[in-house]
Amino acid sequence: MKSLFKLTSFLFVAALLLTACGGATPTPATPPTPQTIIQTQVQTQVVEVPRQQVTVRLSGWASSPSETALLESLLYKFSVENPDILVKYEPITGDYRQAMLTAIAAGTEPDVFYVDIAYFQEFAKNGVLLSLDDLMASTGTTKDMFIPSLMNAFTYDGKVYGIPKDFNTLGLFYNKGLFDAAGLAYPTDAWTWTDLQNAATALTNLSDANKPVYGFCDPADAGRFPVFVLQNGGTIMNADFSDTTLDSEQAIGAAQFYTDFRKNKIGAIPADVGEGWQGTVFGKGQCAMVYEGGWLIPYLTSSFPGVQYGVSRLPAGPGGKGNMIFTVSWSISKNTKVADAAWKVVEFLTNEASQTTVLESGFALPTRVSLQTSDYLKNNANSAAIFNGAYDNAVPFFWGPAGSDVNDQMGKALERIYLENQPVADSMAQAAAEIRKAIAQLK
Amino acid sequence: MSKFNRNKALENLTGYLFISPWLFIFFTFILFSLGYALYLSFTRYNLLSPAQWWGLEGYKRVLTDSLFLDKALPNTFKYVLIVVPLQTVISLVLAFAMDQKLRLRRLFRTVFYLPSVTSSVVISLIFVWLFAAQGIFNQLLGLTVNWLNNVKTAFYIIMGMNIFTTSGTLMLIFLSGLQDIPESVYEAARIDGADSLQIFWYITIPMLRPIIFFVVTVGMIGCFQVFDQIYVMTSGGPLDSTTTITYLIYKWAFRDTTVKMGQASALAVILTLIILVVTLIQRRLIEGSGVSNQ
Repeated sequence: MKSLFKLTSFLFVAALLLTACGGATPTPATPPTPQTIIQTQVQTQVVEVPRQQVTVRLSGWASSPSETALLESLLYKFSVENPDILVKYEPITGDYRQAMLTAIAAGTEPDVFYVDIAYFQEFAKNGVLLSLDDLMASTGTTKDMFIPSLMNAFTYDGKVYGIPKDFNTLGLFYNKGLFDAAGLAYPTDAWTWTDLQNAATALTNLSDANKPVYGFCDPADAGRFPVFVLQNGGTIMNADFSDTTLDSEQAIGAAQFYTDFRKNKIGAIPADVGEGWQGTVFGKGQCAMVYEGGWLIPYLTSSFPGVQYGVSRLPAGPGGKGNMIFTVSWSISKNTKVADAAWKVVEFLTNEASQTTVLESGFALPTRVSLQTSDYLKNNANSAAIFNGAYDNAVPFFWGPAGSDVNDQMGKALERIYLENQPVADSMAQAAAEIRKAIAQLK
Repeated sequence: MSKFNRNKALENLTGYLFISPWLFIFFTFILFSLGYALYLSFTRYNLLSPAQWWGLEGYKRVLTDSLFLDKALPNTFKYVLIVVPLQTVISLVLAFAMDQKLRLRRLFRTVFYLPSVTSSVVISLIFVWLFAAQGIFNQLLGLTVNWLNNVKTAFYIIMGMNIFTTSGTLMLIFLSGLQDIPESVYEAARIDGADSLQIFWYITIPMLRPIIFFVVTVGMIGCFQVFDQIYVMTSGGPLDSTTTITYLIYKWAFRDTTVKMGQASALAVILTLIILVVTLIQRRLIEGSGVSNQ
């Protein structure tokens, strides 16, 4: 009796396991990552047997709902024009680079994805991306259709590995209401550092402890500070990125000027007013001036529609004008099995019509040479100011293979000055020493 | 005889079949991952191209890295040394109070346990707002300290939050331990004339020893691995004052451009060794007191 029980229980468990495993094809044991898959397929009205569809997976980060909506509308248009290609849009929320790195390591990366200029070289060098030259030739797309500095940024060893999808520079966003209240004239493209400092002093109003208003925001952020170094005639790295120049006289002078805003209580970091990003501080009217990119425009439209603001080109420093270019490419995975379809998607997303849509949202600027004279830019001073920033001795936001260490150390150098009152020159020298250590460890 | 053997074999097979789903998960997601991390710790790897053998270079770099030696290592130990005793004592006191015949006892139990079942990310965000420059905490006390952006205070806010969230769970464990102590022991003590403080020190605490060992061990391992709160609240800043070993592993593995996967894996192995050694020492200490052998 007992052995019968054992036998039945054995059979029972065995049967359970067999049903559980039955029919399942062996799949790689990768943990499923949560992802929203939005299918942008459109049912065509034709009554024929549906044609064979090619699926192209596409990913980008989802920095804001407006960015996602913009891309979805473009993909919808694509699906109407190309019913034989099904684009699966898999936006990545959270840490995009981490998600892409693990997907690449597991071989599950999408066919088409964003690559930020900050790590483009790393991806290209490691053979992650597909060279686009042949595909470009197949549709008659040439390099000179795009702004040269952007195209060069996504060229590695003479080959193109990404089509710049759009770009941004920094502009001086100013709150018109606060300027009017202080009786100040709006900033012009001819402004210098002195004008910026004077305006910041005049605009600061700390009388309400619960809602202090600062003239300028000077966050400990490596995405803003470098323009001051450039405007002071300095550089962040040397030409071949083998050494940093953050301990140069120009860089130290720039750090001194930059951190003096907060030291003299005419500037603040976002945390001083309980925020994480100066864009929000600007929207709330607690910073009268901030250096931000075009991404702030749709954010203000949706979150702070009442704010009256303008954008002008960045003030010049003792060393003249200076700005940074932030850009992202559409690239194709080297492991893709649908290269031609993937290229069609990339081609579509970077064509004139798509770029015009992006431009008109205010979100980012077109990379096509032909759009530099677009009517929208002529009639829209805010976007034009950011577009023209590219001509203010702008350098790409990329500091070589140790780039994340460089950015880390710039942020820390500013934090040490703010939080520990470390002398500016010491702090910059310490940052430079740490960066040199990181560069030495690249070998 | 042969029939007995066959039965025995069948029984074994059934047993293995019963645990096979768990075994499958264990081998794939735990043992394999552990082994792979160990392998990666001896390689130079950036996730993009295949790993190359690197010998002990990764370990050498970890052990000479100033961020690890000056910040992450001392910060982690400081965190463990402050949080573990505090959360153990607080949860023990809470459990003791909840074991009394208080009015609204059930309500209090639920309230104290609530932070433990709330997502740590949500609690982290609540604390970020509480302790913001214009946050409620400053408003109430009339202060203007920027708690989370201050090198001296940020880490303590995170510690306080962790104590707040874990005390509930530990309280529950202590409570079950307290209720396991037979009433007869207390009665005997009372007949012998012990007052309540004596009963607490000489009856309750010794009877709770195994539970205390469990709570301290689990708490310590959790504290050595603190990550999500730091990731959400401070990202290791300001000025690395809240960078712990686990945060550094994450930073090296995924955040730095010069992806240091091998080095990060080496640090993960080192953290495992640290936890192993500390737990062994702790067990030896408690065994030395002659209690955990039962």
